[in-house]
Amino acid sequence: MAQDEITERISAFIRDRFLDGDPQGELEETTPLLELGVLNSLNTVLLLAHIREELGVAVPSLRINPSDLKNVRSITAMVRELQHSAV
Amino acid sequence: MDFDLSAAQKKRYAEILRESGTRLGEHRPDGDPDAVRRGFRTAAGIGVTGLCLPEEFGGGGLGALDTALGLEAFGRGCPDTGLAFGVAAHLLACAVPVRDFATDDVRGPLLKGLASGELIAANAMTEDEAGSDIGRLGVTARPVSDGYLLNGEKSWASNAPVAGLVVTYACTAPELGFLGLSAFAVPGDLPGVSFGPPLRKMGLTNCLAGRVTFTDCHVPRRYLLGAEGQGSGIFQHSMAWERAALFGVYLGLMERQLAQCVEHAGRRRQFGRRIGEFQAVSHRMAVMKQRLESGRLLLYRACWLLDEGREDKSAIALAKATVSEAAVANGLDAMQLFGGLGYLADSGVEEQLRDSLPARVFSGTTEIQREIVAKELGL
Ligand SMILES: Cc1cc2nc3c(=O)[nH]c(=O)nc-3n(C[C@H](O)[C@H](O)[C@H](O)COP(=O)(O)OP(=O)(O)OC[C@H]3O[C@@H](n4cnc5c(N)ncnc54)[C@H](O)[C@@H]3O)c2cc1C
Repeated sequence: MAQDEITERISAFIRDRFLDGDPQGELEETTPLLELGVLNSLNTVLLLAHIREELGVAVPSLRINPSDLKNVRSITAMVRELQHSAV
Repeated sequence: MDFDLSAAQKKRYAEILRESGTRLGEHRPDGDPDAVRRGFRTAAGIGVTGLCLPEEFGGGGLGALDTALGLEAFGRGCPDTGLAFGVAAHLLACAVPVRDFATDDVRGPLLKGLASGELIAANAMTEDEAGSDIGRLGVTARPVSDGYLLNGEKSWASNAPVAGLVVTYACTAPELGFLGLSAFAVPGDLPGVSFGPPLRKMGLTNCLAGRVTFTDCHVPRRYLLGAEGQGSGIFQHSMAWERAALFGVYLGLMERQLAQCVEHAGRRRQFGRRIGEFQAVSHRMAVMKQRLESGRLLLYRACWLLDEGREDKSAIALAKATVSEAAVANGLDAMQLFGGLGYLADSGVEEQLRDSLPARVFSGTTEIQREIVAKELGL
């Protein structure tokens, strides 16, 4: 799957589930999700379940760290990396 | 699929059951710290304080499923559930993260002490303002030369009043939200660590619990677990082990309790017959058995998945919630079956209920387990 598509799918999910649809269009690839509290421990379970079901990537628990989950860009990079290491 | 235990598993189970029954079967919990320390040494002699720690440091070298089986046998043979819980929390919430994340400088000596039961560990995460939601911890760790300065107070740590080691979590980067945590294995004798008196509580008498306060406590870098900022992942890892394997203790309790109920119902006569002949009584026990066996299957499977390297949050949450709810429901049923006798302290039946009630709260409440299951369903 292309990087743009992963970014788009993850952003769409975050907008829809955690940002009430993001009516002002504020979410960017570099929006600090942890700092703003968009991601908390329970939301993260939901996001990772979505990534597993929709993108077929199981994220191991040690990837639940600030550098991988900082923003949409880092999450996308992690998903791409895990996709490649799986094949 | 094979539901049988192997010959080695059966043998180990039988040995732990026999030894814990012989050495701790008459144990009457009174909350005396020295008795608790002795209990840890006895548990070490039976091999349970180090079930899943490496053999080179005196542990049993077992995986999660075998650890749960060992704890089940221990919980079944030892009616002092407070001690069994304390030992299991020491092993799973504390020794497991030390095993998997401590620096080479301290890992070996700590594991040796933990496996031998000489070094008792407490896990200190909960704070007055941070219970189910550990996203914003008040305890902070500020990097200083060669380590960290810890400040703040933890409100509940099982084993703390007898602990020589505290596995704890502190905020190192508030801007990173719930992932701004770091994990530490703090020796209890470091200057700046202080322990409150044992908290007065409803049950689990021989698991002494207390508050832990850090006041400008300088923790050398070698006691950091994993990398700075990895605390949340380490905590989740330790909770995966605890939620899956610790509740083996409660399977053991339920086994023992059900056997007592069957025995009582077969002996006690009213209206000219054994009370077990009344269907209202026998069906109650059938349901107790059903809860026990459902919990057992979920728990064994959750542990098996963990051993396969497949961390299945939902499977673990289902097991934790099912076993703890079963322990409470069975505890209430056992009280009813024993009638007035069950309410008397010497019967041990009311104690089983008091020891079971907190299982729905610690290691993440039932509601939080259900939240995890729901999130895993995509809800
Ligand atoms: C016997 C015992 C031993 C313990 N040992 C330790 C230990 O060794 N180390 C340690 O750090 N802590 C320990 N604890 C503390 C324990 O982990 C916490 O009590 C537990 O996590 C719940 O936190 P809380 O008590 O602050 O309850 P709260 O978080 O305030 O919850 C109160 C109620 O609200 C519900 N609730 C909260 N959030 C939600 C939500 N999002 N959805 C639905 N319901 C929700 C809860 O399920 C609960 O019913 C222990 C507790 C007990 C009883």
